[in-house]
Amino acid sequence: MTVIHPNMTDESAKIRARDVSVFYGDNKAIDAVSIDISPNYVTAFIGPSGCGKSTFLRCFNRMNDTIGTARVTGLIELDGEDIHADRMDVVQLRARVGMVFQKPNPFPKSIYENIAYGPKIHGFAEKKADLDVVVERSLTRAGLWDEVKDRLDDSGTALSGGQQQRLCIARAIAVDPEVILMDEPASALDPIATAKIEELIDELSGRYAIVIVTHSMQQAARVSQRTAFFHLGKMVEYGPTSDIFTNPIEERTKDYITGRYG
Amino acid sequence: MSPITLILIAMGLGLAGWLSGRAKAWSFQSSDPALRSASRPVYHAWYVALWVVIPVLAFITIWSVLAPQLVMQSVLASPAAAQLPAFGFERDAFIGEARAVAQDTAPAVFNVEAEALVAPFREAISRYKIIGIIVTVLIALACGGLAFLRLRPDFRARTRVERTVMMILLLASLVAILTTLGIFGSLVFETVRFFGIVSPADFLFGTFWGPDTMASPEATDPSRYGAVPLFWGTIFIGAVIAMIVAIPLGLMSAIYLTQYAHPRVRSWVKPLLEILAGVPTVVYGYFAALTLAPMIRDAAVAIGITSASTESALAAGIVMGVMIIPFVSSMADDSMAAVPSAMRDGSLAMGATKSETIRKVLFPAALPGIVAGIMLAVSRAIGETMIVVMAASPAANLTANPLEPMSTVTVQIVKLLTGEQSTDHPATLSAFALGFVLFMVTLALNFIALRVVKRFREAYE
Repeated sequence: MTVIHPNMTDESAKIRARDVSVFYGDNKAIDAVSIDISPNYVTAFIGPSGCGKSTFLRCFNRMNDTIGTARVTGLIELDGEDIHADRMDVVQLRARVGMVFQKPNPFPKSIYENIAYGPKIHGFAEKKADLDVVVERSLTRAGLWDEVKDRLDDSGTALSGGQQQRLCIARAIAVDPEVILMDEPASALDPIATAKIEELIDELSGRYAIVIVTHSMQQAARVSQRTAFFHLGKMVEYGPTSDIFTNPIEERTKDYITGRYG
Repeated sequence: MSPITLILIAMGLGLAGWLSGRAKAWSFQSSDPALRSASRPVYHAWYVALWVVIPVLAFITIWSVLAPQLVMQSVLASPAAAQLPAFGFERDAFIGEARAVAQDTAPAVFNVEAEALVAPFREAISRYKIIGIIVTVLIALACGGLAFLRLRPDFRARTRVERTVMMILLLASLVAILTTLGIFGSLVFETVRFFGIVSPADFLFGTFWGPDTMASPEATDPSRYGAVPLFWGTIFIGAVIAMIVAIPLGLMSAIYLTQYAHPRVRSWVKPLLEILAGVPTVVYGYFAALTLAPMIRDAAVAIGITSASTESALAAGIVMGVMIIPFVSSMADDSMAAVPSAMRDGSLAMGATKSETIRKVLFPAALPGIVAGIMLAVSRAIGETMIVVMAASPAANLTANPLEPMSTVTVQIVKLLTGEQSTDHPATLSAFALGFVLFMVTLALNFIALRVVKRFREAYE
């Protein structure tokens, strides 16, 4: 039983999921979830650990393909195109749908090479001058340019945790995606670094459709405009963030929001 | 006089000590917590047993060396021994014969003169056998008894037993370390002797190798001991040709097995690959010498290279490379598995293909570990002996043509130390100098490689 608040189905939805289920072997991790993701808002997935919100997020760029035992059923559309269709190239899908992981995972290369990686493999920029522009633009958008512009040749792994995560965000936006998926992007960071990431999400929203998975309800309340609450592999309630936090319809959502469990 | 009897006696006495120790410890088990003994009965039992077995084994070790000498002394003191020739081959033969008969390993004497010695031998052997048994039992009773008397409820038998176990383990590891040091010491000693005859500069930089085992040691010609052709042959076969074979094949199979292979395929292919590492090197050796080398020679002759040899460096190097493949492959496998999967996911999520991810992210990240693996493989290849003894040439040759015969350091060591050779001759001593150089090079390679691997592991923990 899923409660979806009024006006949440959207003709202009960026991502449309219908009856999506995910299995790990014989285990059902996600059970028939349908959702529309709007291009103009930040959408937050909240819920207790193990509720399947990260698994569901990883459906949008088919990262579940990399797990041998995982199987996805149902329909997922990006701009009306079925992402599981034969003519959908997973390489191009992932260029359009970027991802930021829970733990910062910069490549063991220089800061410059970390950003240039995506544009190079997709052939967006070949010449050094073009790459320079992309690197500066991406780092500026990620709010990291001023901190690293004098040491672009230093290793990406030498940065602090918060800087590494912003580097990963810059790396994701370097290929100019349409959607950015964030899987608990601040859970490994201290409060100051977390605040910077949240600020950044705010600045990036509008330019990119952003879907963020988070453990922290305060974070969801701060950064998102839409919130979906997941529990035991099912989506329980989906609505405007303000409604979900102040006026939830479902009893389970209320219990979770008020901290009765989770 | 067999040590086995004594060891059986020691075991029996140890068991007796164990049982008596446990019996005594049981007697002071109490349900009153205030009187609870400090250790469980089994530790008291082991305490007594160890006090019996260790001194007895020490005595047996010493006795097995000492007893034959005592026997010999008493036989020589007997009147029959006065008849023996004063010294020399005959005397030794008679004594040996008499001893064999006395120990019932020979039916009867061949030389009549030895007959007289049989009785004194028999008598002496049985006398010392009895003495050995008596002393064994006495030591066991004395040590075991003392240990038994020390058992009290508050005696910390457990601590003592644990410490003894630790000492035994320490001793076992010391044996290995001391052996290594001993090998190193003897190598250094003989090398220094060699360098007293041929200067290190002549040895390390000379370009002609041809030790003359017939020349008198006084008239040594240092210019015949230039090891450069051997070092070159070793490096060319072990580090160049073998690595040209092993590095690409090893790395590619590791990449396939870690990144592409279905788990079921991997579970079949990986053990099969590792069988290569278990093939005895002598088998590789005759494969190289009897199968591959003639094929290479024939192929070379067919395309017009008439100088090609059946002892070509190419054959030995290729087979050695095949031998090294599992080594390179498993090191590369480990270092790629050590790269966090977050790195791989990050690259895939950027839209990189599998091969782009491997080439641009996984491989560079795993590179230090892979390089270390290759260094270990090189150190194994240049120390490898059997393949080159069978397939490479015994004659040193300084050339870059892989179809010509070449010799290696290990081949020369085998050649110089087999057969009858005077231990003072510079040709024999030069084998130790070669061994010393080889030892230092492989030691350095291993040392550097292990340090690199260690630092690499830390980087991802």
